Amino acid sequence: MDKSIKELHELLKSGQITSEDLVKESLKKSHEIEDKYNAFVTICDDATEKEVTDSLVSGIPFGVKDNYSTKDVLSTGSSNTLKNYVPFYTATVVQKLFDAGAIMVNKTALDEFGMGGTGTTCHTGPVLNPWDKTRMCAGSSAGSACAVAAGVYPFALGSDTGDSIRKPAAYCGIVGYKPTYGMLSRYGLFPFASSLDHCGVLTRSVEDAAIVCDIMKGKDECDMTSWDSSHIHLQESLTGDIKGKKLFYIKEICDLENYPNANEELKAHLENFNKTLDLLKEAGAIVEKISIDQRLLNAIASVYVVISCAEATSNMSNLTGIIFGPRSDKQDVFEMMKDHRTLGFSPLIKRRFIIGSYVLQKENQERYFRNAARVRRLIVDKMKELFKTYDALILPVSSGPAKKLDEDKDIIDKNTSVLEEHLQIGNFGGFPSITIPNGFVNDLPVGVNLTGNCYDDENVLNIAYTLESMMPYKGQIAKERE
Amino acid sequence: MKKQIAVIGLEMHCELKSNSKVFSSARNSYSEIPNTNIAPLDMAFPGTLPVVNKKCVEDALKMSIVLNCKQPEYMFFDRKNYYYPDLPKGYQITQMTNPVGTCGKIEIEVNDQLIPVHIHDIHLEEDSASLDHFFDTSNIDYNRSGIPLLELVTEPCFHSANEAVAFLEHMRRVYQYCDISEADTKKGQIRCDVNVSIMDEDATELGTKVEIKNVNSFGGVHDAIVYEIERQMKLKEEGRYNEVEQETRRWDEETASTIRMRSKVDAIDYKYFVEPNIPKYKISKEWIEEIKGKIPRLHLERKQDYINNYGLSSYDAEILVKDKEISDYFEECLALEIDAKSASNWITTQILGYINKNSLTINDLYLNPKRLKDLIDELNKGSISTKQAKEIFLKVIEEKKEVKDFINKDNAQISNKDELTKIIDEILANNQSQIEEYKNGRTNIFDYFVGQVMKQTRGKANPVLTKEILTEKLK
Amino acid sequence: MNKFTKEMVDDYAEKLLIGLTDEENKMVLDEFEEIDRNIDLINEIPNISEVTPMTHTLDDFTFELRPDEAKESIPIEEALKNAGATDGREIEVPKVVN
Repeated sequence: MDKSIKELHELLKSGQITSEDLVKESLKKSHEIEDKYNAFVTICDDATEKEVTDSLVSGIPFGVKDNYSTKDVLSTGSSNTLKNYVPFYTATVVQKLFDAGAIMVNKTALDEFGMGGTGTTCHTGPVLNPWDKTRMCAGSSAGSACAVAAGVYPFALGSDTGDSIRKPAAYCGIVGYKPTYGMLSRYGLFPFASSLDHCGVLTRSVEDAAIVCDIMKGKDECDMTSWDSSHIHLQESLTGDIKGKKLFYIKEICDLENYPNANEELKAHLENFNKTLDLLKEAGAIVEKISIDQRLLNAIASVYVVISCAEATSNMSNLTGIIFGPRSDKQDVFEMMKDHRTLGFSPLIKRRFIIGSYVLQKENQERYFRNAARVRRLIVDKMKELFKTYDALILPVSSGPAKKLDEDKDIIDKNTSVLEEHLQIGNFGGFPSITIPNGFVNDLPVGVNLTGNCYDDENVLNIAYTLESMMPYKGQIAKERE
Repeated sequence: MKKQIAVIGLEMHCELKSNSKVFSSARNSYSEIPNTNIAPLDMAFPGTLPVVNKKCVEDALKMSIVLNCKQPEYMFFDRKNYYYPDLPKGYQITQMTNPVGTCGKIEIEVNDQLIPVHIHDIHLEEDSASLDHFFDTSNIDYNRSGIPLLELVTEPCFHSANEAVAFLEHMRRVYQYCDISEADTKKGQIRCDVNVSIMDEDATELGTKVEIKNVNSFGGVHDAIVYEIERQMKLKEEGRYNEVEQETRRWDEETASTIRMRSKVDAIDYKYFVEPNIPKYKISKEWIEEIKGKIPRLHLERKQDYINNYGLSSYDAEILVKDKEISDYFEECLALEIDAKSASNWITTQILGYINKNSLTINDLYLNPKRLKDLIDELNKGSISTKQAKEIFLKVIEEKKEVKDFINKDNAQISNKDELTKIIDEILANNQSQIEEYKNGRTNIFDYFVGQVMKQTRGKANPVLTKEILTEKLK
Repeated sequence: MNKFTKEMVDDYAEKLLIGLTDEENKMVLDEFEEIDRNIDLINEIPNISEVTPMTHTLDDFTFELRPDEAKESIPIEEALKNAGATDGREIEVPKVVN
């Protein structure tokens, strides 16, 4: 299970292994990983092998984040409000993988409804980092990142509203990719913030990410924001040639001088990033440093908080315990609905709801919600203008490797540097964005991110693929630090 | 106290006709059996998304055009957020920032006078689920959840209950003419909110506005307005106008009064924001033109046409335009060059009488305009009597045959003077004593002779001609 | 002078049908000044009143509206299977009185 999709496919095709072997191994590994890192909500012990066809994923096990609706399999969003919810329909992207012959072996834990960046707010408890159990995986796709990194299977589905695929990928030393908004249908993904939510995948190589998204993508009549991508062929676009491609990075984010109190980890991380830029140049790409208005960058986190919390309050208004979810025994119907929510939501997401409620109040809407949407446009317009000249933006992910679990304060801290939050730009604009492993700091993995213009997924993935091939981290499996 | 005038505004919700719901693919049809027409979205199962029905948008645009509203360049929707057990998503998808129509104006007829009505906006939204109440529980039926609704909001431009109801009647007919709703209040397809205030006749500022929610019949709208005007007037007369509060009340049918629900202060903050799951949809000029082409001539225009250009009475014209199918039937008759007045007479008497008696629609009637023309032609030719025409009318319908099938030698009217004279001569020859009596002044015996002729001809003698010949012979 | 009070926080929560424990209220209240200051960073960007708020992630693609075709209803047993209380074909709740 530590192999790539293509390798597994060849072994299956040649009969050296069977789908049954893979499912058994993956389930066994799931239980081990669950015991060690608490990565799953459900392990599908009744999963059975499937026929091996020409589809690359046929007969191969995979994981699904527990905020995807899966027919007849518990789907909780890692929330007590849905702790007993068994859907009767399957999310479009999951169904497409089923149809291609892939086998779901588990549902992975996440920060409650994706509303967290630590992987510690799941109703089943925190997910631990497979490289170092004292550290977090980041979130919200924590269980998926943990399992892929630990070699449970070659790929798992994630979702990404702020950086929920791309940050855990970095912390776990794997690849995390969210395509352009609407390339993958969101039908069946439990919503957090609909205008920012993206489906995506966590893998151990860029090619695997391309293979899986090639299968999942497509216009869905159940999601009006999905579009026809039949002209896009992700895997075929991985040529390894990026001569003449133009990339940029942002001075205000990447220069060490922006961080007068930088610790050793940050210094090493940024130094590592600069070496990566040299690799790109070696491959014939042009890399330029540009400057962006600091005020705009400083506002990223605020724009994200305001929009995501506001949309979340509305998206989660269906959680009342009437049609699904544990029913309260209160005798007044409104008290019953309230009780379900009061007991079901964790304190951390209640706080986000209160922010959402505050910024949507009639008297506050203009100043907060609508102005956030205005600044969002300014940021996106700025990026789109740059993407006219450049093929992609390259930036380091986070301020270093995975943080300690006890640093898991999920608050919006004004000292939080733009470095921690810039991936949200990818969600503001719906841009294709991929994180790949970028070596180690303190023996812990760090990641680098590439983001490009909407609909330009092929270009972005090819740059990531080329860069990946120049570094020795492709396919790496997490090894716990002694 | 100065003379007071009432100022009234209306919000009219109307369920649209369509195969599927506005944002889901569940059937849009009424069912007695609960939860038979439901899609996952209608119960807000996690992960479901709205997908907009094109027909509903088209019908909404149609009404926007009919009401002479401005149409937006882009169509999009908003969420209206509130918690209620009949609202599964916890928000209603509606249009707030960018309705399908704004700033409209139409004319309606009130007591044969045209008055202008100003439309604030018209918007497309979804209905909620319905609740059935029992002793200490309520049951939720999601069949209604997601049914398309058009909400029409007028400016406060009416001054009496009659005007307000005339507008509702007018709109009901417009919906029916455009075939976008049955607009049947009995089926709960139209629901209204009414706002009422009073002010001094010469005042420039409106008085305190009271909103009355969920009035479900036109009679209720009328009575609620009358009640509310009286209530406010009385308070004003007594110098207690400050007790009229900006509030929401409801109309209680049983007590025939309005009852306070909540004050403006407690108004819910719906936290509207744009629905991100429905992309902005560009409304092309071509589409608007195409929709315009589908809008039929409406009742008021037709009525005026019938009066002014076809010489019908206002009364008859009103009957003809009451229902579009009937008006269409009439216009088909005109197209077949049937005389307008005789078409109108046949429709308003025989045809409506027949279809009402038999609970049919005019389109179900076997006697289509072409057959009506055949019948009227035969009548005009004099080959059948009016009485016969009425009989043939029924026979054509009931036996599903053509008019000509009932016009044969046997029952054709005898209008040949020579033939008729021969018959009359025979009868007179056999009734010598009666002729004597007639000539002696018993002129009422004339009808006896006519009766004999009719008897002899089995009613086929042309009565006018018969009388003519008899008068001549009996001189 | 604190801009926010315990009552305000409870009110924001109440509007979402959420109750807060004293502890939860305190947690939010303690940070709310700072949260408010942070989200106000948005308003340091000059001249934004003329900018059209970005309400949709992509507004540059064309799509078709759904044709008006009805599909089969979801089976009743599927619709009701997660509900805490049902009565026949319907979901049952404590009596709703206005």
